[in-house]
This record gives sequence, C-alpha cells and structure tokens, in this order.
Amino acid sequence: MFPVGKTFVLQKLNNSIMASRIYLGELEELVLLMVALLNKDAYGVSITEELKKQASRELSISAVHAVLHRLEEKGFVKSRMGGSSEERGGRRKRLFSITAYGRQSLEELRDTRNTIWDMITKISPA
Amino acid sequence: MSTIPKPPAWIDSLIGRLAPTHLAEEIQGDLYELYRNDLAMKSIAMARFRYIWNGLGFLIRRFFWKRNSISHNNLTMLYNYFKMAQRSLLAYKSNTFINIIGLTIGIASALTILTFIRYELSFDSFHTNRDNIYRVVRVSGKDMSEFRTGISYPVPWAMRDEITSFKNITAMEYFGEALVEVPDAHGNIVTRYKEMNGLALVEPSFFQVFDFGDKPLKWLQGNPDKALIEPLSVVLTESLAKKYFGEGNIVGRTLRFEKEADCKVTGVISDLPPNTDFPFTMLIAYSTVKLIHKQAMDDWSSVDDNHYTYVELPDNMSKEEAEAEIAKVHARHTPKELHESRHYLLQRLADVHFEAQFGNYNGRTISKPMILAMALVALFLLLTSCINYVNLATAQSAMRAKEIGLRKVLGSNRGSLVSQLLTETFVVVLVASIVALALSEVLLWNLQSLLNLHLQQYNFMDPFILATLGIIIISVTLFAGLYPSVIVSRFNAVNSLKSKFATETVGGFSFRKVLVVVQFTATQVLVVSAFIIVSQMNFFQNRDMGFNQDAIVTFPIPDRDSVTRQTIEDRLRAQSFVSNVSFSYTLPSGVNRRNSARDIWREGSNNENIIYEYQAADSSYLNVFGIKLLAGRNLTPLDASRSILVTQRLAQHLGFATPVKAIGEEVKMSGDKVTIAGVINDFYNHSLKEDKGEVAIVQNPRAYGNYSVKLQTSQDRESLQQAMAKLEQIWKEAFPEHIYEYRFFDENVKAFYEQEEKYAQLFQLFAITFLLIGCLGLYGLIAFVVNRKSKEVAIRKVLGASIQNILVMFSKEYVQLIALSFILAVPAAYYTVNSWLNNFRNHVALSWWMFLLPGMLVLVIAVMVVILKSMKVVNANPVDKLKYE
Repeated sequence: MFPVGKTFVLQKLNNSIMASRIYLGELEELVLLMVALLNKDAYGVSITEELKKQASRELSISAVHAVLHRLEEKGFVKSRMGGSSEERGGRRKRLFSITAYGRQSLEELRDTRNTIWDMITKISPA
Repeated sequence: MSTIPKPPAWIDSLIGRLAPTHLAEEIQGDLYELYRNDLAMKSIAMARFRYIWNGLGFLIRRFFWKRNSISHNNLTMLYNYFKMAQRSLLAYKSNTFINIIGLTIGIASALTILTFIRYELSFDSFHTNRDNIYRVVRVSGKDMSEFRTGISYPVPWAMRDEITSFKNITAMEYFGEALVEVPDAHGNIVTRYKEMNGLALVEPSFFQVFDFGDKPLKWLQGNPDKALIEPLSVVLTESLAKKYFGEGNIVGRTLRFEKEADCKVTGVISDLPPNTDFPFTMLIAYSTVKLIHKQAMDDWSSVDDNHYTYVELPDNMSKEEAEAEIAKVHARHTPKELHESRHYLLQRLADVHFEAQFGNYNGRTISKPMILAMALVALFLLLTSCINYVNLATAQSAMRAKEIGLRKVLGSNRGSLVSQLLTETFVVVLVASIVALALSEVLLWNLQSLLNLHLQQYNFMDPFILATLGIIIISVTLFAGLYPSVIVSRFNAVNSLKSKFATETVGGFSFRKVLVVVQFTATQVLVVSAFIIVSQMNFFQNRDMGFNQDAIVTFPIPDRDSVTRQTIEDRLRAQSFVSNVSFSYTLPSGVNRRNSARDIWREGSNNENIIYEYQAADSSYLNVFGIKLLAGRNLTPLDASRSILVTQRLAQHLGFATPVKAIGEEVKMSGDKVTIAGVINDFYNHSLKEDKGEVAIVQNPRAYGNYSVKLQTSQDRESLQQAMAKLEQIWKEAFPEHIYEYRFFDENVKAFYEQEEKYAQLFQLFAITFLLIGCLGLYGLIAFVVNRKSKEVAIRKVLGASIQNILVMFSKEYVQLIALSFILAVPAAYYTVNSWLNNFRNHVALSWWMFLLPGMLVLVIAVMVVILKSMKVVNANPVDKLKYE
C-alpha cells in the first residue's frame, strides 16, 4: 500500500512548494496588481476604474468581485470593512490589500518572465 | 443631494435578500457608487440600465451562492430534528401507534383504489391510433333508446366497397365459448376441451387497427400477412397453443370446433394483455363467416350483437362525417322503415370500456361516475386519516406545552419549531406509507377476484405508484402536520412553563370539532350508501320475477336429435327425484341464455311491427318455471308452430284490452299466420335492471337447445348429490362425445347482478374502513380528554355524581357532533344513492329509515368507543386521582 503517514504528506507538501507553482490566472494577476497599485484604497469600484485606466480592460463589477473572492480564498489578498460614505448610500466598502504571499508571488512571476525573456533575446535576437 | 434620482429599488432588495449576509453591504455599496458615477457621465436611463445589469451580473457568480458554513449547520439541524422526532414519538407510544395505524389504513386503501382505477383506465388505451378508432354501434327505436353493438353481416362488406375515405375497417365476431377437439395425426380425437371464452372471428386488418402500442403482439409462428385470409384457418395464442399441442411448431395442425368445423392452425401469437376488451385466444379467419351464416350475408335487417365492426378514421375526419357516410351506405341498401328506425353510429374506442349500455366482449364495463366515486372514496379515506392525525396532534399539544416552552426559552424560533414538528409528522407518515405499500400489495392480491383485476406487476416496482406515494407522503405530511405545528409553536413560552394549559380550549378545540364532523360526515355517507346498496342487492335477490327459480337444473343439448330427446325425457321422468322436465330453446331469464327477437304484427292495429322475444318450449315449460296462464290454454304437441302463447304486456301492446279478448285471435309472426292460444303472466326476461319483456312462446322441437329439470323439493344434501350424479350419468350417456355442463337456474339469474354484488361488497368494505379510521381517531381523542379530566371526574364523583352522569358528560358532545354529521351526510348520500338506483328500472323505494338505521348504527358504535375508553377513568377511585396535589 501507499505509505500514508505524516512524513509522506509533509513530503508531498514540500514538493509542491518547491515547484513553486503559483496558480494565478492572467486576470487574477492583473487585479492583484491593481490591488497593489491602489495600496490602501482598493475596493470593487476603484479597481474596476483602475483596470480601465491602466490596462484598458472593461470588466463588470460582479466579475471584479468574483476575482477578488478567488484571490482572497487563495491568500493573495486580505480584506477589511472600511468606513461608509454618502456616495455609497451610506454603505461601507470592503478594502483589499495585498498580502506578503501575494506580493512574493507577483515578484516571482515577474522574475520568471524576465528570465525567460532574457533567454529569448539570447537565442533569437530580434 | 435629494435631487439625485434613485436607482431601481428592487435590485437592491434582491441583492439584500439573496446575497450572503457578509457580502450584501459591499455589493450594494459598489453598485450604488457605480450608479452615481454613471449618473455623472451618462443619461439617467442608461445609468439605471447599467445598475440593473450590474446587479443581475452578480446572480451568475458562483461566490454569490456559496454558503459553506450555513449548509453544514442545516444538516446538523436536520439530524437533530430526526433525533428529536424519534424521541418524542417513542415517548407517546400509544398515540404514535394510533396515528400510524390510521394513516396506514388510509394510505393503503388509497393505493389499492388507485391501482384499481388505473387498471380500469388502462383498457385498450395503448393502441397507437386509439383516438381515431371507433366502434360502429346500433342505436334504434323511435326515441333512439335501444343501444346495441350488433351490425348486420353485409354492412362491413358494403362499407369497404362503398366508402373510400376510411383508413381501415375491421369486422369481427365473438363466440366466446367453444368445444375444441384436438385430433392426432390420423384424425382421431385425442383430447376435448370446453373453452368458456376466447373464440373469435377476426380479419387480418385487426392487427393493423389494434397494434397494442409499445407491447405489440408477437407472431411466434406463421405468416402474419396470410394467416387469417383463408376460411377455416385459426391462429392461437401462445398459452392455448401450449395447452393443446405442447411445444414445437404447430402450424398445419388441425383443431375441430363444435364437432363441425375443422380449422387449420396457421399461426401462433403471444397472449393478448389482460387489460383489453378483446379477450381472444382462438382467432379464426373472418372469411369463415360466410360458411357460418350463409343466408344472413345478404340480410340487412337481422343482427347478432356479437358481430362488431371497428373503423379507423383518417386524422382530418370527424365522427359526424363518418357517421353520415355510413348512413348513406345503409340507406342505399335498406327500405325506408329500417334505415329510419335503425342508426349505425360511432363510439370512441376510449368509451368502449366505460359505456355500459353497449357492453363489450369482456362483459365488463365500469362507468365513469363509478370511477369518480371510487376516486372520491380514496381521497376521503386519505383525508379522514389526516384528520385523525390533526386531532390527536392538537390534543396532544397540551402535554407538549412545557417542551415547546423550554425550547423557546433556549432560543428556538418559530420556524425551527414548525420544522421540528413537521419532521415528526414526516416520520410517522413515512413509516405508515411503507407499511401501507406492503399492505396494499397484500390487499390487491387478495382482492383480485373482487375487483376483477389482473395484476401484471407489483406495486412497489411500479414507478407511477412510487411517485404517487411520494406525492401522498409530502401532501399528507403538510396537510396533517402543518396545522398542529403552527398551533403548537404559537404557544407563549412563559405561559406554557407556568402550566396554564390544563384547559379545554387549548390547541384549537373548536377546529377539532369541525374536523370530527367532516370525518363522520364522510363515514356516514359511506355507511348509508353501503346499507342501501345492500338493500338493493337483497331486492334483486328476493323480488318475484314472474317465474319460479328454485330447484331447477338446466343442461345444454349439444345434439338436436329428437330420438335422443325422447330417450332423455323418458329416463328423467322415471327418476323419483325429478318433479318435471321441460325442453326449450331458451330459459325464461338468466345470463348467457339464448335470446332471439322477431317481429309480430296484427291486422287492424296501427300497422306497427312489435319486436318481441321469441321462445320455443314444450308443454311443461309453464309448469317447470311456475309461469301462470291468465287466459286460454297451454300449448300441446299438436299445436306445432301454429299456436302461440303471449305475455300479458305483449297482448296489450297488440291491442287486446284484456287477456281473454286475445284468445283465438290471429296475428302475423314474421309473416306467418298464427293463433293466440293463451296469455301468460309477465316476467322479467332480462334482469331487474330492465323492464319486463314482451315474450311469445311457440312449440318447435327442433329449436330446443336445453332441458330443465325441476327437482322434488324437500331433499337432503346426500340425496341431492345422488340426484346430481344420476343426472350427470343420463346426460353423458346421451351425449358421450361432449363435455358435461350444467347450471342451477337460480344461480344463473343471480349472475345478472354479479357486478353490483361486487360493488356492494366493495362499498361495505369501504364503509367498514371509514368507520374503523373514524373510531380509531375517536378513541385516541377521548383518551386525551379523559386523562386530562381525571381530576374533574374524581371531584364530581366525590360530590355525588353517578357513573351514568359522567358517561353522559363525556359522550354528550360526541353524540352532538355525530348527529350533526348525520344531518350533513343525508343529502350527499341521498344524491349518490338515488343516482345509482336510477340506473335500474326496478329498485327499492328509499324511505327515511334506510338512512336513520345506518346512522344510528354509526352513532351507537361511536358512543360505545367513547364509553369503553372513559370507563376506566370513571370507575377509578377518586382518592387515587386526588391524592397528589
């Protein structure tokens, strides 16, 4: 049978971290970048607007919410309830901020890409 | 700021209601903020549209619907509900038991009736073209009051030649019983069978018109296209083929029918399903009809009611158009008098099983009102068992007040209490349903002959029944459980813990009274109806039909040879136990007797042909059957067929004011001149459901098809057995090559009411079931009342009340309720019973005591239940009840 025990499970866990597979879709990465960019003021509406401004991506508000939920589930962002304001009809907003893990993942992704780009220019210069 | 137009509010409340609670606020906020931004940039309409669009966008997101933690919670609660239900059901065992028994009986009866109704409705409902298939029926008489099925023999042939617009025409004739002989390879008869039904003549087109839907008939042997073309070829069903020949290929073998016709087996088909009104087992080619009825083939007037024609119409043709086509053909071939008084109309195939006035080959119809009545009975049985549950549950609620109070104190809200109590009901209903399913299975298998049904599968394997049971479970749970749980959960926590619930008014007692009245109204309707149905059956059995039916045995004469007849008569008369013997063409009445009609006409009367029943009989016919001669003389062998006897009604119809005036008068009978020799009393030649008939009797020894032996009365069982053995011996010696049969005449007459007898039994059964459920509920109810009032009873006794006083106190209320329900039940019962009785020309006269007597019976039974149950408390020593306070 399989060696199902504590050590075995730990080993499996280690392997997956070592492989450093970051499950981050293109849209998720983009939204995560926006959260980082907006720093303390990231919430549904501001992210939607920023996406339009920076990346010319028009997303519906519900789609943004869905991505934010996924990011929070995966631990890339964390959230807290902010203050209420009149322009929101007196309702509070949920403010998102990037976690250390989120930031590290973004950097790793960037590094990976840079490395690959370096290799591309070396092998087949334009 | 107040100038800002508001966004559509419904989106906001929709999100508020549907979104997970911790997300609603931010979503609503974001939507509102976007709306504000849009207002600044775009038109109001656009902003509103985008608001709605964005809001609805959330409904397609998966995160919006996720409720992880909560659904987990629900499951725990559900588990908890079941656990609590189990505990409280076990805590009140007797109550639970009564509830389960009551619901089981109700559900089992409903399932049984449902299966029965479904079976009846399934008759011939499976043919692919059933909506376009019609039976040609014969409606005649001036007032179109005679409904028959027989079609004259040339009609189907002419229809086929002259009407091109019909899709298909198929004629058939059903003989039913047959003497079948199986010869071996050398033509010697080896075995002989008497089949009581199944012999039919059918055309090859039968199989095109009736395809038996998704369970088509399979041709196991023979060629379906050619098998039924040649005259005297026969196709057998599988089971009959096995019975006659065993296994193997039997095409080409021969069967001899009625000692006359040698038929060649040309095919074997699978058995026809039981739920068809074509009970065929031996299918002979219809072309044989020309050999059987040689002269009738061109006779447009004479008919045989077992000769049917079915037509299949094209989709675009209406029934009326088709009837007009047939009428044209009929008019072309017949004189004016005939086609004006006789009409060939069409009856939908879907009605063949349900219209009793026409009948069918199965001899079995059930009217739609009867089906409706059965369905109502089933519904009310379910209802009355639900009422039991409601009554007991509300009565019981007082005892559970503390439990409910405590639950509320511990934080139960009303919704969860209702769910809790509904779960209890659900468990009870579920258990009852499972038991009921098993019970209905047992009931159905035992009631097969009573209900006249042929089960093809078990109920618990039938998806339809299981689905219905599922619906019954849900609806009974809601119906029986909702009211008590709402009532109980309404209790005020503080009051219930302070034990302020020992009063009678708790738990909607007046509503309970209403329910008891409803329940007993249904019961009384059934009991009264059953009582009157049974009275009608007794009426049928005991009414003087105008002839004597006791101690008469009848035998068929398979071989009409006058020498044999004389021998038999001499031998019979020599027996000491024989009082008289009569030879006749038919019998005065009874089922399956030969029955032929002719027309009679008297010169000088208003030129009307009177259709009457023709009977041929010898001189002792009147004596054997106790028919009285009112005037004139009996027939003698010398009369031959020149003189006749007529019944009083026929004499009157012919225009003779008194019987004496008819004597010696001449009339024309089927064109022959005859003299009226005597007038006899009227008798019922059909059942009591119809009027007395008009009958004429002639002497015609060649027509005699059976003989009736009147036995000496005052015989004990043993000598009767010897007599029967002797009679059998005489018959067998006279007809060695036939299969012995005999019938008691009175049983033959009783068989008229077979179907009614079954209904009578069925309704007695229903009445008993209703009474049982009702009394069960009453028993449970009174048990609670008595228990709660035990102290009151004790104090009353101490203060000097007698036992009678207290029993009256307990039963008074129920007597009132049942009396009220009786008053409500009488009109309903009267209406039902009256419309049933009106189906019969002769029926009991309804009178007040027929309602009162069964009503009193119900009352007495109910009061007995109340008294029996309260007796224990009433008889108890007051000291024991008052000791603890």
